Amino acid sequence: MFVYTLKRLAVAVPTFFAVLLITFTLTVVSPFDPVEMMMTQFEGTLDTLAKEEVIEKIRDQYGLNDTYWVQFTRWIGRLLQGDLGISINGQRNVLRMIVKTFPISFQLGLAGAVVTTILGIPLGCIAALKQNTWIDYTIVGGTLGFRTVPVFVLAPLLLVLFVLVLDIMRVPRGWDGLFQTKVILPVFILALGPLPVVVRQTRAAVLEVFSMDYVRTAKMKGLEMWRIIIRHILRNALIPVVTTLGFVAEGLIVGSIFLDSIFAIPGFGGVAEAGFRGFDYPVIMGVTMVSAIMIILTNLAVDLVYPFLDPRIKIE
Amino acid sequence: MSESRETEPNASLGEEIAKEGALQTRSLWKDAVGRLLGNRLSVIGLVITILLLIAALFGPYIAPYTYTEQDLLNVAKMPSPAHWLGTDEIGRDLFSRVLWGARTATLVAIFTTFISVIIGVIIGAIAGYGGALADNITGRIIDIVMSVPGLLLAALIAVSIKEPVVSWAENIYDTTGFPLFADTTWLDLLVVFGGLAFVSWPGYARLIRGQIFSLREEQYIEAAKSVGVSELKIALRHLLPNAIGPVIVTLTFSFSSAMVLESSLSYLGIGVQPPQASWGNMIASNIGSWSYRPWLVAVPALTLAIVTLGINFLGDGLNDALNPRSKRSI
Repeated sequence: MFVYTLKRLAVAVPTFFAVLLITFTLTVVSPFDPVEMMMTQFEGTLDTLAKEEVIEKIRDQYGLNDTYWVQFTRWIGRLLQGDLGISINGQRNVLRMIVKTFPISFQLGLAGAVVTTILGIPLGCIAALKQNTWIDYTIVGGTLGFRTVPVFVLAPLLLVLFVLVLDIMRVPRGWDGLFQTKVILPVFILALGPLPVVVRQTRAAVLEVFSMDYVRTAKMKGLEMWRIIIRHILRNALIPVVTTLGFVAEGLIVGSIFLDSIFAIPGFGGVAEAGFRGFDYPVIMGVTMVSAIMIILTNLAVDLVYPFLDPRIKIE
Repeated sequence: MSESRETEPNASLGEEIAKEGALQTRSLWKDAVGRLLGNRLSVIGLVITILLLIAALFGPYIAPYTYTEQDLLNVAKMPSPAHWLGTDEIGRDLFSRVLWGARTATLVAIFTTFISVIIGVIIGAIAGYGGALADNITGRIIDIVMSVPGLLLAALIAVSIKEPVVSWAENIYDTTGFPLFADTTWLDLLVVFGGLAFVSWPGYARLIRGQIFSLREEQYIEAAKSVGVSELKIALRHLLPNAIGPVIVTLTFSFSSAMVLESSLSYLGIGVQPPQASWGNMIASNIGSWSYRPWLVAVPALTLAIVTLGINFLGDGLNDALNPRSKRSI
């Protein structure tokens, strides 16, 4: 087990390192110049020659004239100290922006993942048991739609439907903790994104288990259907569903980018959206790295937990 | 086989056999078309896809107005005979803008799909044919690209390459004076293509690699090899025709996800810039007013939802039609 853990880590760490490299390279390639940005506030106070000189001084001071690799190692060093830089718009500490907003998004995401599971597993199960009937088609076809329909399409449509047409709710805005009625719609929308992955995986797994000998035996000895489903089918079928967690994490992160501003939730996604809208490189880099860490960690956790769930898998 | 049985005296059996014979002579493609048209959802998807392509090709001719034309006497009006889907906050005809948006979305989807298929096929072929080391290296690269959410990576790339692309075009315009480079609208598209293609090739690479590895074990490939057919000929004559089904299915799905990614980037203000019409930036510029001008956000949102749904239904139908051996896999 120890060796296996090390092996998985040996895959995850270089992957993350490569993500860092890509992120850093892209910002070096981009001609955004923080010094030019700083100089805009001295516009008109310096003549051109003096300006050039000042720019050069500042560049030296911040090490922007060093080679790529020197800059990269220095950047990594700062990252290890938890320094993600200062945002361009508003001059705020990026790490603090993320730390402040992340717990809110994490709670929302967790709630979304729970809702996805609670909806997805029974739906997938029903679809499998009613294979090739209209029930199956409705479930699969209905959730299939949400595979690609993005949050910024779903959210306004559902808002119009629930608030204007059906008039059954007030406009949900803001964040006062997880256990509030206004959280219901955002969480539901977040949960819809990764739902089809869970439904499909559950459906396929149940179908596979369904033809196993032990299920036939259980049926033959006259066990009630629900007991067979819970005791024999689900227990085995749920194992592969765990592997969808990585997709679920990705869906939740991407979903929150659009969700936060629509529902005025002060979350991680809102920071990301503002970063992209403002071409705010330090923020974009920080957000991308944190997202990559979340997904890599989720996949690592799945890899590590999986052998415990499925003893048939041998750890080399 | 049916020839030998045709001598059977029994007439009804003869008829049956004739039917069977007719079935046997049907080609794979005819069969696939039959299966596709037999599925109600995929027919709906096919119709929606065809409508989208018509809108993309002929939209500017069908559209009653251009995408920038303002009717200042009718600003932010509900749907009416003059403006079928109403007008937006500065008096532009929404129906026309939705049609132009179809053109944007389709253009981006076609180009990014094309670029990413080429990259994916090349990398996939390297992984499949280049030996264990090449397979390992490409596999690691794919893992890395896939560990960042596609939208984030595409946005990051688009943001980073935007300025270089624009200044590159400005340079060319300054030196050559070629009028094409003065117009920056297609540059926005170019930036989007770059970002999207970069995140969507790994899917194809994995698919191609998987097909090469699984088909390689098939007996007809082994047979061809043992007769001394060259690797290239095997790839073109045997691998390609057999891998084309899954590739078409993947094409369909990635077509719709490229469209969604384009709208997402445009929604975030990175992709297609106003006044150019993209469903994404149409939603973005009106989402703040959904409660008092709901149609302005509902129309582009519904269009995008219906189109992606339709293409996905088509993709699913194609999946069933082109891979008859696999049972309904979804």
